[in-house]
Amino acid sequence: MPKSIKTDIIHRSEHNPVIDFADIPFGCINLYNAGCIKKNGKYMLLCTIEHLDGTTEIFLAQGADGYRFKVSKEPFIIPRTDDPLYEYKTMGVLDARITCLEDMYYIVYLSESKHGVLLNLARTEDFTAAEKLGIISQPDTKAGALFPRKINGKYARLDRPNTGGSIWISYSHDLRTWGESEVVLSPRDGYWDSNHIGCAAPPIETPQGWLVFYYGVKMTSGGTLTRIGTVILNKDNPAAPLVGRSNIPVLSPRELYERVGDISNIVFSCGAILEEDSSIKLYYGTSNNCLYVGTTTLDEIIDTCLQSQKDF
Amino acid sequence: MIEQKGRDYLHRYEKNPIITLENIPFRCNTVFNCSPVKYKGEYLLLLRVEGQQGYSFFALARSKDGFHFSVDEQPVMLPAKQGPFAKYEVKGIEDPRITEYNGTYYILFTAVSAWGPRIEIAKTNDFNSFERIAFISEPGNKDGVLFPEKVNNRFVRLDRPIGKGIGSIWISYSDDLLHWGDHRVLISPRPGMWDSYRVGASVPPIKTAKGWLEIYHGVKMTSTGPIYKIGSALLDPEEPAKLIARCDEPLLAPREFYERIGDVNNVVFACGAIIEPDGEIKIYYGAADTCICVATAQFEDILKRKLEC
Repeated sequence: MPKSIKTDIIHRSEHNPVIDFADIPFGCINLYNAGCIKKNGKYMLLCTIEHLDGTTEIFLAQGADGYRFKVSKEPFIIPRTDDPLYEYKTMGVLDARITCLEDMYYIVYLSESKHGVLLNLARTEDFTAAEKLGIISQPDTKAGALFPRKINGKYARLDRPNTGGSIWISYSHDLRTWGESEVVLSPRDGYWDSNHIGCAAPPIETPQGWLVFYYGVKMTSGGTLTRIGTVILNKDNPAAPLVGRSNIPVLSPRELYERVGDISNIVFSCGAILEEDSSIKLYYGTSNNCLYVGTTTLDEIIDTCLQSQKDF
Repeated sequence: MIEQKGRDYLHRYEKNPIITLENIPFRCNTVFNCSPVKYKGEYLLLLRVEGQQGYSFFALARSKDGFHFSVDEQPVMLPAKQGPFAKYEVKGIEDPRITEYNGTYYILFTAVSAWGPRIEIAKTNDFNSFERIAFISEPGNKDGVLFPEKVNNRFVRLDRPIGKGIGSIWISYSDDLLHWGDHRVLISPRPGMWDSYRVGASVPPIKTAKGWLEIYHGVKMTSTGPIYKIGSALLDPEEPAKLIARCDEPLLAPREFYERIGDVNNVVFACGAIIEPDGEIKIYYGAADTCICVATAQFEDILKRKLEC
């Protein structure tokens, strides 16, 4: 029986982990950072798997109830040597974030090479194959996610240029060329998210505005401490003054499996699912490299964003 | 046979520096990186002036011969104090690069704020009024230069994104000058060489029969700081994302006292050049982040020299 931790607003599921090493049909070092989406009642995860040689690829996992998943043997997105953009992917592809947009599933993912880390876009109709749409950012940009609809007639995305450590928004008419970039959310001195931040789950539309789960990093003498918080952005202009931002993280590393592993003290998400009953499932990776799910309700998260002014 | 005068391929004007603090009619700290243009029979230089507060802005200098300049009484572009541009210009505007396209002069420059440096575009038709258009990069980017014509029907630019990564020159494309994509790496630092630490676009690409000539800056890091030099590379005329030649040796390296001693020692840094009807190229450059100089060569020689390497 897992011990009950009341401190966090995200409740750890008793089904955890939802993907264990035993569920992966081949040898690997790490499993982490899964983007997620619900398609016709089925839960689809795009997991990052680090192979024994250190390179990363993106694999599909599917489940019927959101708590148990079957990982595909074959990768879904890989760096291919015959890809004209292979030069930008030599170290791998990772951190897929899925957005349903105009009846297609768009995937923003990272590729890594000696030129740095940058955002790529792909799409799929049915998760049988990914159509690659190319590079959409300059290097040293991470944590990219598309909004699920156009804002003021334009596609919109969030990302995190490494310089400054803030979350930015950019707009596009064609999903290929991007501009009009504005800063949306910055690290807060003295807080749990003081060093750098980035979008975790792609924006979810709510009556109050765009709900974004983001990760926040504090630098300690022992290294980074990575947690998850929430913010609500203005519906018509996400770069406008915030509707609300949680003062506190909604999920922090506490369990052994969140504290000990290749990277210590990390909970990191690439996706959340808002269910019809207004419950939320947040899929997250941890230090020990299995995949976990935490649950909460939309109301609880919105309250946290809007009324997070308490001192303790 | 290329005649080499002195140690560098470019010939320094004997009365360098051509603009110093003494020539600025208002109080400031230094004047350095500048972009030249020939406009209505005059040579104009858009100057980066660093105020004594520490942030930079732009002033204009004029000349009949390209060597003797007088600086206008008032700056022409100051960091915006209000409106949508103000937030990202709090720490100044730097390193303008002028490109003429269809009779309009576009200026790419670096806007600096707490979020880091990013590239902004403005335009002017008369060098009297300057209109800001947009920011065209996220932070962690500088050294933007616009090609003087569309290539395959798209605008093209070079820039130098830098975050925690390495400082390479990248190329991007746009249909409207506002939204940019198809980013590709173009010129990277070369380990062990004079441009081993960072490179960045300097002069807006010059069209030649052989391809686009890019005069760029390369940096080597030493135990006492960086050394900035000027180098050259040639890009494919149809597909500028393809590098077809790159000179092993710099065109100009800091040697004179005015290039070695200043707020930042050991810097020669160009933001523009003018090619005269007789085939001479004048490269205007900031020296030691403290003054402005000019150096010349026969443009053909630069092209030949480059391709011999």
